[in-house]
Amino acid sequence: MKTYTFYVSGTHCASCKIFIEDTLNEQIGIDRASVDLKRETVSIDTTLDESQHRLAEILTEKIHHNGYSLSVEKKAGEKKDNGVIWQALPIGLAFLALFFLVQKSGVLNLGIGGQTTPVTSFIIGLIASVSSCLAIVGGLVLSLSAKVSQDNVSDIKTFVLFHIGRLVSFAALGGVLGAFGKAVGINFTLTSILGLLASIVMLLLGLNLVGVFVKNKIALPSGFFNFFRRIEHKTLTPLILGFATFFLPCGFTQSMQVSALGSGSFMSGLFLMLAFAIGTLPILALLSFGSASFAHGKHAPLFFKSAGVVVIGLGLFALLAGLAGLGIINPLFSI
Amino acid sequence: MNKIVSIILATVLVIGIGIVFFGQLKNNPGLNGVQTAQNVEIRDGVQYVTINARGGYSPKVSTAQANIPTKLVVKTNETYDCSAALVIRSIGYQKILPQTGEEIIDLGSPQSGTLQGLCSMGMYNFKINFN
Repeated sequence: MKTYTFYVSGTHCASCKIFIEDTLNEQIGIDRASVDLKRETVSIDTTLDESQHRLAEILTEKIHHNGYSLSVEKKAGEKKDNGVIWQALPIGLAFLALFFLVQKSGVLNLGIGGQTTPVTSFIIGLIASVSSCLAIVGGLVLSLSAKVSQDNVSDIKTFVLFHIGRLVSFAALGGVLGAFGKAVGINFTLTSILGLLASIVMLLLGLNLVGVFVKNKIALPSGFFNFFRRIEHKTLTPLILGFATFFLPCGFTQSMQVSALGSGSFMSGLFLMLAFAIGTLPILALLSFGSASFAHGKHAPLFFKSAGVVVIGLGLFALLAGLAGLGIINPLFSI
Repeated sequence: MNKIVSIILATVLVIGIGIVFFGQLKNNPGLNGVQTAQNVEIRDGVQYVTINARGGYSPKVSTAQANIPTKLVVKTNETYDCSAALVIRSIGYQKILPQTGEEIIDLGSPQSGTLQGLCSMGMYNFKINFN
């Protein structure tokens, strides 16, 4: 009988202790597993003859589905985290300041003369992707991408599916709008509510990326994150999310939807919305694939926290604006 | 990076963002005092309040007379942004305006008070004070 102590990561709630202890105690050859939440350690008695490193691997396999992992040494990354937030905060805020300054400057209110053609809607898409729409659509893409990369799911595949879902749904729904015209109305209140949901997701993910939930051991959202962890493995999820971005509140999208409505045929509506979606693609693709490459680089902790700050800022902006849009609160600002 | 430097930087940036958001509110009354005269006019007993919608609404605050027939004219000129998606909650109005054109909205004879218009995402707004 030997006694080992491992460091455990991912313990964010009191019930984690019970869960880990129960799971480990079920394993053959493991006795008396006990978790020390404060020190983030697990000690076990074992009759197995494996090395401590091998044991950490074996046991991690049993509990990593639930977001925990065991290691022999304390993970180096987590020690440095406290310092990183102080670098991430100004970086994130600088991005936010730049973003809002660009909005305020009016640079984006370019005039594009004449009728809306696929070419103009492509250009409008380019503008839209750096406009205030970025606060919702881009913020959501950034937060989801960073979270997916952080959890180390096959992120590239997920992003490709997301963008495909987005392009296909814009083309298809654009075609539907063109073909059926006024019969299909897109409800303002519905899009506003979707926008609110998106901003809440952004806030939660942003706080998670910054590490607030880890540090303060807030137990409440663990259900949310477990749910999230489960759905992000599915192939269909990124496709559906891409589809849903069609309905997110964005003035440019809505304005293009009206153009598609008025275009009068399936094909013209399809090309209008597809060209618009392709126009928004470069920035959104940069956000998601950029996240992936940062996430696997050595500045990953800094990237996640900076992205978290940006996402919280955009989420707050979208939330307050969305509540004002629904008439629940008075508008606090006008950019 | 030093922690103190970083806190100072962060504070400066927060103040900067604050100015972007709220700085304008203070300037508004003076600015609109000038514009009000131009965007409200009475023709044939009907009061027309004109608002330009593109990259936001201007003027942001207008003052008009209460209790006379009033029409709100919202002008769009190659407006693709959110300001084309107009919502006026108090009269239950919501519509995505044509990209270029004039939308005339009948307000009836508004009582004294404030009428507020927003874009559907909520980041742009305008107010008309009826006295």
